Amino acid sequence: MARFLMEKINQDVTLKIKNATKSFAGVTVLNNVSFDLYRGEVHSLLGENGAGKSTLIKILSGVHKPDQGKVILENKEFVFNSPKEAFKNGIATVYQELLVFPELTVAENIFLGHTPKTKIGLIDWKKIKADSRKILDSLDSHDLDVNARVGSLSVANRQRVEIAKALSQKTKVLIMDEPTAALADTDVKKLITVVKRLREQGVSILYVSHKMPEIFELSDKVSVLRDGNHVGTFNIKDVSEDLLVSKMVGRPVDKLYPISKGKFGKPILEVNNFTDGLRFKQVSFKLKRGEILGIAGVVGSGRSELAQSIFGINPSKGGSIKIDEKEVSIKKPKDARNLGIAYIPEDRGTQGLVKEMKISHNVSMANLDREANGILIIFKKEMQNAINAINKLGIRARNALQLVRQLSGGNQQKVVVAKWLQTEPRILIMDEPTRGIDVGAKSEIHQLMRNLADEGLAILMISSELPEVLGMSDRVLVMNNGTITKEFSKEHATPENVGAIMTQKVKETA
Amino acid sequence: MRMKSIFRHETILFLVVIVALVILSIQAEQFATIDNLLNQGRFLTEVSLVALIMTFVIVTGGIDLSVGSILGLSAIVLGVAWKKLGLPLPLAILVALSVGTLAGLFNGIIITRFKVPPLIATLATLALYRGLAEGISQARSIRGYPEWFFILGQGEFFGIPTQLWIVAFFTLLTGFILTYTTWGRATYAIGANETAARFSGIAVDKTKLFIYAASGFAASLAAIIFVSRVSTTRSDMGMGLELDAITAVVLGGTSIFGGKGTIVGTFFGLILIQILKNGLSLAGVKSDGTYIAIGLVLILTLLISNLFNRNSEG
Repeated sequence: MARFLMEKINQDVTLKIKNATKSFAGVTVLNNVSFDLYRGEVHSLLGENGAGKSTLIKILSGVHKPDQGKVILENKEFVFNSPKEAFKNGIATVYQELLVFPELTVAENIFLGHTPKTKIGLIDWKKIKADSRKILDSLDSHDLDVNARVGSLSVANRQRVEIAKALSQKTKVLIMDEPTAALADTDVKKLITVVKRLREQGVSILYVSHKMPEIFELSDKVSVLRDGNHVGTFNIKDVSEDLLVSKMVGRPVDKLYPISKGKFGKPILEVNNFTDGLRFKQVSFKLKRGEILGIAGVVGSGRSELAQSIFGINPSKGGSIKIDEKEVSIKKPKDARNLGIAYIPEDRGTQGLVKEMKISHNVSMANLDREANGILIIFKKEMQNAINAINKLGIRARNALQLVRQLSGGNQQKVVVAKWLQTEPRILIMDEPTRGIDVGAKSEIHQLMRNLADEGLAILMISSELPEVLGMSDRVLVMNNGTITKEFSKEHATPENVGAIMTQKVKETA
Repeated sequence: MRMKSIFRHETILFLVVIVALVILSIQAEQFATIDNLLNQGRFLTEVSLVALIMTFVIVTGGIDLSVGSILGLSAIVLGVAWKKLGLPLPLAILVALSVGTLAGLFNGIIITRFKVPPLIATLATLALYRGLAEGISQARSIRGYPEWFFILGQGEFFGIPTQLWIVAFFTLLTGFILTYTTWGRATYAIGANETAARFSGIAVDKTKLFIYAASGFAASLAAIIFVSRVSTTRSDMGMGLELDAITAVVLGGTSIFGGKGTIVGTFFGLILIQILKNGLSLAGVKSDGTYIAIGLVLILTLLISNLFNRNSEG
């Protein structure tokens, strides 16, 4: 009887991490970290970029081996040699960059690597499809067709496929690495429902996210890492957001958005009936000097396409753009730059940066022809500009010759900003300016945006994070299904008002 | 970081060249003579001109398989324009250079405008241009060029073969462009991340068009020197040249995925291949043995370089 009780108590801890330590090339990235993950709980993992979250996740999922310490899964000590081994033993991971195969169908993706076979060794398609259906239904994704090609799905649905894949074997622990980073608000809500359902089924979930609202909505417990150390594990009921943030960064952080002076100049950019005939239609708005104009909307509402057409990357099919009341023609990004427009794209990895190049080369990239002597690069000037940018924007790097890929997300984003400030723009379009970067860097970028606006720059900001749009913008436009459906002044832009317009009558994208 | 600069690919390659030079000098006594080395330079000219521009092509993440065929086509155009159409030879040379450049430009248009992968586009034009060359030539060779024309391929200036001066000029020019100019920087940026380059206002398509046209020009210049060297024009000239050029570029450390590579590397790559070919044959190794040796050196050099570069990462 006593023995039975003991087992029952122990069984409640699904996964134990004991004194995990890991260093790379002499730098300790994880130092003596221990905590327990209980059955059927959502345990959030918080920390700035570089705090050791990824390393910890990679140890649990079998990508890295710890230098010291133990991973104990249901009372058995494990050293996983590969992600496959961890997966087989019940630890599944859904990464931020989804690893689905776009050319395969939903069902094929779910059962890739452990395909059920018939008696004579052929692939059991019936079972694959039926089981896929069952798993997806259990995730409330009844509308997702198991025969659909994954490449044709929205990001949110691809993620569901990935979660279904994680659940296609007996999963005890599900690790989710920033699952909402690329999702629009409505999809985030659905994901949260799915996670809650998994918790009811007894799965232990280790949840990594930068977004406080969902952490507070979902988590039972939260562990904070800072510089590779375990700062503490708390019951979510016992902590406030401010406390968690200060634990993360090791100092109190001003989480308020910088205050707008509310003084604007003349309209500098005027967009009239702008259309690309496909993703956005009849868009008109004005942007004033010194103003931050936010565009809210769900992913797929045509915001990025609009921005890219203004910037000359994608062709437009109608309408006009005026700058300083003069009609202009923008056929390519260089035209836009020469008119004083800068565009900071939503995906810094593929669109914003050449990651294999040095900071200095990235900083000069958009302005190099102007800084050059004819076609000769003036290396001294290039270097000096990069050093100035590093100092001005507080880019944390060894020096200006460091490769951009070695920087953290926040610092990479600052390099993109530096690159475009180099062109001395008058109009700055920022597409998801703080996506996937930590709280500290986020507030620095917000402060920088406000300072630039105060210096007279006109800023058009696209963001899928409603708090950011509402906190930063002097005016808010809501884009829905390719058109601007409403404009809000700062006073009237409340989460309820804007959120309602954002999601009004939007067709489900399956 | 310091390790990296000592064991740069180019440095390793340089050491391999030195080692090869020493071994071959010991093995074959005719090898290390001024006459032989200068003569090897003559043989090296055509592939060098093509490989220099091929470095740019591959740095952008592309490839140009049609250079050998462009060489053949330009050579035939030169001969036909001069002998059959009766144009003065200098004008015929200009026509041949223009045809080569246009052929390269056409590659560029297929690649940038119609988004055909460079491998496929130039594989198609490899066949197309060679077919044109054979069609125009009707399988007849053209001879009887005037004496002055042979200065290019057989003459010398200050004791150095004429074409080596040309190669030296283009080596310095391309090395300079790739390292010190905005065009060179654009070339690297396009190869490392084409989308980001485009989003940064770099004229991606224009740059590529220019590079493929330059590649065609280099092949036609090589054609003229080739014709001058062998005193005759045939439609099968330059067959397989593309592979020699690509081998030299890749041996020189240029990444086939784009974004990385130097003219210095290509230069050493060219020299290494040529001295292996010549030295081994002088040492009495048969040609099949020479090819095996070149293959092995290519693999070994890249392996060693990868080893050092991986170690110095992070």
